[in-house]
Amino acid sequence: MATPSKTPPGANPKQLERTGTVREIGSQAVWSLSSCKPGFGVDQLRDDNLETYWQSDGSQPHLVNIQFRRRTTVKMLCIYADYKSDESYTPSKISVRVGNNFHNLQEVRSLEMVEPSGWIHISLMNQRTNEPISTFMIQIAVLANHQNGRDTHMRQIKVYTPVEESSIGKFPRCTTVDFMMYRTIR
Amino acid sequence: MTVLQEPVQAAVWQALNHYAYLDAVFLAERLYAEVHSEEALYLLATCYYRSGKAYKAYRLLKAHSCSTPQVRFLLAKCCVELSKLAEGEQVLIGGVLNKQKSQDDIVMEFGDSASFTLSLLGHIYCKTDRVAKGAECFQRSLTLNPFLWSPFQSLCHLGEKLDPDQVFRLSSVALPPPSVSPAQNSSHRLDTALMETPQDTLELNRLNLESSNGKLTSDLSVSYIDSSLISPETGSLLANTVSMATAGSLLVKQNKPKSGRSLLGGPAALSPLTPSFGILPLEPSPGDPTYLQNYSTTMETQSTAPNKKSVSRISQSKSVFSQSGNSRDVLPIPFNQTQTSAPHTSGSPQVLSTSMSGPPNVQPRRSSRLFTSASSTAKENSKKLKMKFPTKIPNRKTKCKSAKTSNSSNLNESLDILRLDSSLSLPDTKIPQYQRAAADSVMALLRELGRGYQALCSYNCREAISVLSSLPPQHYNTGWVLTHVGRAYFELAEYTQAERVFSEVRQMESYRVEGMEIYSTTLWHLQKDVALSALSKDLTDMDKNCPQSWCVAGNCFSLQREHDIAIKFFQRAIQVDPSFAYAYTLLGHEFVLTEELDRALACFRNAIRVNNRHYNAWYGLGMIYYKQEKFNLAEIHFKKALSINPQSSVLLCHIGVVQHALKKSEAALETLNRAIRIDPKNPLCKFHRASILFANDKYKAALQELEELKQIVPKESLVYFLIGKVYKKLGQTHLALMNFSWAMDLDPKGANNQIKEAIDKRYLPEDEDGDSQDSSVMTDADDTQLHTAESDDVL
Repeated sequence: MATPSKTPPGANPKQLERTGTVREIGSQAVWSLSSCKPGFGVDQLRDDNLETYWQSDGSQPHLVNIQFRRRTTVKMLCIYADYKSDESYTPSKISVRVGNNFHNLQEVRSLEMVEPSGWIHISLMNQRTNEPISTFMIQIAVLANHQNGRDTHMRQIKVYTPVEESSIGKFPRCTTVDFMMYRTIR
Repeated sequence: MTVLQEPVQAAVWQALNHYAYLDAVFLAERLYAEVHSEEALYLLATCYYRSGKAYKAYRLLKAHSCSTPQVRFLLAKCCVELSKLAEGEQVLIGGVLNKQKSQDDIVMEFGDSASFTLSLLGHIYCKTDRVAKGAECFQRSLTLNPFLWSPFQSLCHLGEKLDPDQVFRLSSVALPPPSVSPAQNSSHRLDTALMETPQDTLELNRLNLESSNGKLTSDLSVSYIDSSLISPETGSLLANTVSMATAGSLLVKQNKPKSGRSLLGGPAALSPLTPSFGILPLEPSPGDPTYLQNYSTTMETQSTAPNKKSVSRISQSKSVFSQSGNSRDVLPIPFNQTQTSAPHTSGSPQVLSTSMSGPPNVQPRRSSRLFTSASSTAKENSKKLKMKFPTKIPNRKTKCKSAKTSNSSNLNESLDILRLDSSLSLPDTKIPQYQRAAADSVMALLRELGRGYQALCSYNCREAISVLSSLPPQHYNTGWVLTHVGRAYFELAEYTQAERVFSEVRQMESYRVEGMEIYSTTLWHLQKDVALSALSKDLTDMDKNCPQSWCVAGNCFSLQREHDIAIKFFQRAIQVDPSFAYAYTLLGHEFVLTEELDRALACFRNAIRVNNRHYNAWYGLGMIYYKQEKFNLAEIHFKKALSINPQSSVLLCHIGVVQHALKKSEAALETLNRAIRIDPKNPLCKFHRASILFANDKYKAALQELEELKQIVPKESLVYFLIGKVYKKLGQTHLALMNFSWAMDLDPKGANNQIKEAIDKRYLPEDEDGDSQDSSVMTDADDTQLHTAESDDVL
C-alpha cells in the first residue's frame, strides 16, 4: 500500500486471540536478531510490553529470524510500530521471507508503511491456495526506515497460527454454544 | 493406672475443648515431663496433632515406644498425614519381620476404635496400590461401624458395588458403646449421668411438661440419642434421628458434673453402664454428644402431607438438635416411641428449634468438643433448661402452625451427634428401644444418601438425581446433597440445570469448595465468563490451599483463551494436592489446546494413575490419539472411558466418529443411534450421524437429519455448511451456494477456509455467483454484516 496516506493501525492482537481462531506461537520458536544494542534485544521484543523495544545496531537490512522446531503453519504476523515515538527509527519497508533455513529463504510478503501508529497485521496466507504458510523459519527484514534512519526500533512482534478447534471430525469450528457444549468432555 | 482426679489432665482437656492449643500444649508438656507415662505421652501427642502439628506428634511418638492401641492409632494417623504410608502400616499391623496382624486381630486389639483403624488401614492400602485389601478393610470397618461415611465413599470411588441397604444397618451391630469422653474426665461422668437418667428424666419430664404443656397444643418430645461413637478427626458425624413422640416429654438428663475421671480410664474404672470407654478414651465424640441438647420439636399430630413422600420414612427419626450452651453431658432422652403411630408415618417432620444459646454445632472437625466448661453443673443445666423452655415455646408455637405445612422452613439444620447408649440398663426399658429406633432412622437417611451416592459413582445419574431429590427438604437443601445433584446433571451434560443447582449451593454454603471444580467446568461449557471469573476470584481469595480453587482459576483463564496462565494455575493445583486427579486432567486438556501433545499424554496418564476410574482422563487420551490419527488406540481408550461411564452421549458420539474414521460405518451409525437414544438433546450426535450418512452417499437421510437439526439449533453454521455440501453433491448448486453463504454469515470471525473452499471448488455452473462469493470473504465483521442483512431477507 504505497500510498501517501498513513497506514491505519490494526486491531489489538489480544482480541484476535480471544476469538479463539488464532494462537500465538512465538514461544515455540527460537528468535535471533542480526544486531542489537545491549539491553534492547530479543527479550524486549518479546516481552509483551509496548514500552520496550529492540534497537538494531548495524547495517541494513536488519533481520529478525524466527526458527521453529518443526514445520509450523503460520497465519499472520503482527508488528507494533509507532511513528510518533520512534520517528526515524520506525521501519518503513519490511520484507517477510520464509524457508527451511538461512539459505532457503524466499520472500512472501513485502510491505511499505507510512507513519504507522499501532499494530500492523501481516497476513501470511498463500495467495493462490488461501492457506496459511507452513514453514520452518520466518525472517523479517527491515529494508528501510522512515526519514532514512539507519537503525530501527521494533516494539513487539507476534506470530499467529490458526487454531483448528474442531475437536472431532474434520469440520470447521462450531459457532453456537449449544454445539460447543457437546463437543468435548472436560 | 488411671488416677481419678487429675486436675492437670482435666485442665489440658478443657483447654483443648476451648481450642486453646498453646495452653494445652504447654500444660501437657509439663505433665509429661513430670509423669512420663504413656497416657501423658498420648495426651501431649494429641495436643500437638490437634493444634495442626502432626509432625511434632509424629516425632514425639516415634521417639518413645508405643504399646497401647490408642497411641499406635495416633501415630499411624500422623504417619499417614505426613505421607509415610509404609510406616503407618507397620505401626498398625506390624512390620515385615513380625507377624502381620489380620483384620480380626486388629478388631480385637483396638476394640471400639477398630472401625477407624480399619478405615485408616484401608486408606493406606488403597494409596499403596493394594486395592483389594483396602476394599476389604473398608468393608470391615463399615460392618463394625455403619455410621462411618468415608469408608463407604472410598468404596464407591473404587467402583465397588455395595448395597447401601446392607451397609447402613444396625441390626447386626450393637449400638456403638459410649466412648470415654475426655470431658468426663474433667468434670462429668458419663456413667453417672446415665445412672441418673431415670430420676432426672422424671424430673425433667415434669419440668418439661409444666412448661410446655400449658403452651403447646402438640407435645414435644425429644429424643436424643447419645452415640458414643468416636468421632474421628475426620469428623464423621452421625445424623441424629429423633423420633417425635406424640406425648412429648422433653426428657433431658443432665449429668452431674463429676470431676476427676481419668482420661484413660480403663473399663474397670467405669461403671457398668458404660462398659467400654474404649480404646481411644480421648476421642472426642462423647464430649460432643454430652452437650446438653435441648431441642424442641413440634410435632404435628395431624397428619400433614409430607412434603416428600419418603420423608415419612426418615422424618420420624429426624431431629434437629441444638446444643445448649455449656451443657455437658448430654443425656439420653428417652422419648415416647409412639412415633411409629400415625403422626410419624404421616410424615410430619419434626420441627426443631434451636435452643437459644446454641453453642457451636457439633460436627467436630477435630475432636475438640470434648468438654464444656467444668462449670456446668447439673443445677445450672436445669436452670438452663428451664430458661430454655420458655424461650423456645413461642418458637414452638409459631412452629406448630407453620410446621404443619412446611417443616423444612423451621427446621434447624444442625444435626448433632447423638450419643447412643446401648449399655444403659435403665429401669425404663423403653429408652434403649427409643435410641435404637432413632439410630435406625439415622441409618435410613444414610441408606438413602448411600444409594444416591453409589448411583452417582457408577454414573447412573438419573437414578442418583431421583434418589437424592426424594430426600426431605431439610436434607436436600444442603451443600453436600445439592453438589452431588449438580454433579449428576453435569455428567448427563445438562449444563444449564447443573449450573442452576450449583449456584444454589454457592448461595447456601459459600465456604464449600468440594465440587466447585465441577461448577467451574459447567460454566466453562456454557461459556459464562463473568460468572466463572467471579467464582474464581472468590475461591482463590477464600482458600489458597485447596486444589479446587486453583482448578477454577485455571478454567477461568482457559475460557479467556489464556492457555499459558491456565496451565500455570492447574500446575499450582497439582502442587497443592498431588492426589487430586481432576487437576491433571484439566492440565492435560490445556496442553492439548496448546498443541503440546506429549505433555498432555503425560498429564492424562498421571490422572489415571491417581484415580483409575477417572473417565475424563481416558477420554483425553483417546482424543490425543485421535488427533494423531491413531484411530485404533483412540477407539480403545474411548471404549474404556465408556465402560466407566456408560451413559455419556458425548463419548458415544466420539466413538461413532472414530469408528467411521476406521471405516466401520455400520458400527458408527449404530453407536450414534445409541447416543441419540440416550440423550436426544445432543445436537452433535445428529450432526455426526448426518455427516456419516452423507459420507455413505445416503443424501436424503442426511438431509432429513440436517433439517431436523436446523430446527433445534438454527444458528449453527456447521449445519448449513453440511447441508450445502449435500446439495452440492446432489447437484443442486443454487441451494448449495445459498447454504454456504448462510454458513459463512453465521461464522463471521472464522472465515472458515473449508467453506470458502467448498464454494470455490472446481466448477460452478454460474461463475459469477462463485466469484462474488469469493470476494466477500473477509475477516472484518463489517462486510459480513452486510451479507447477514441480505441473507436475513432471503431467510
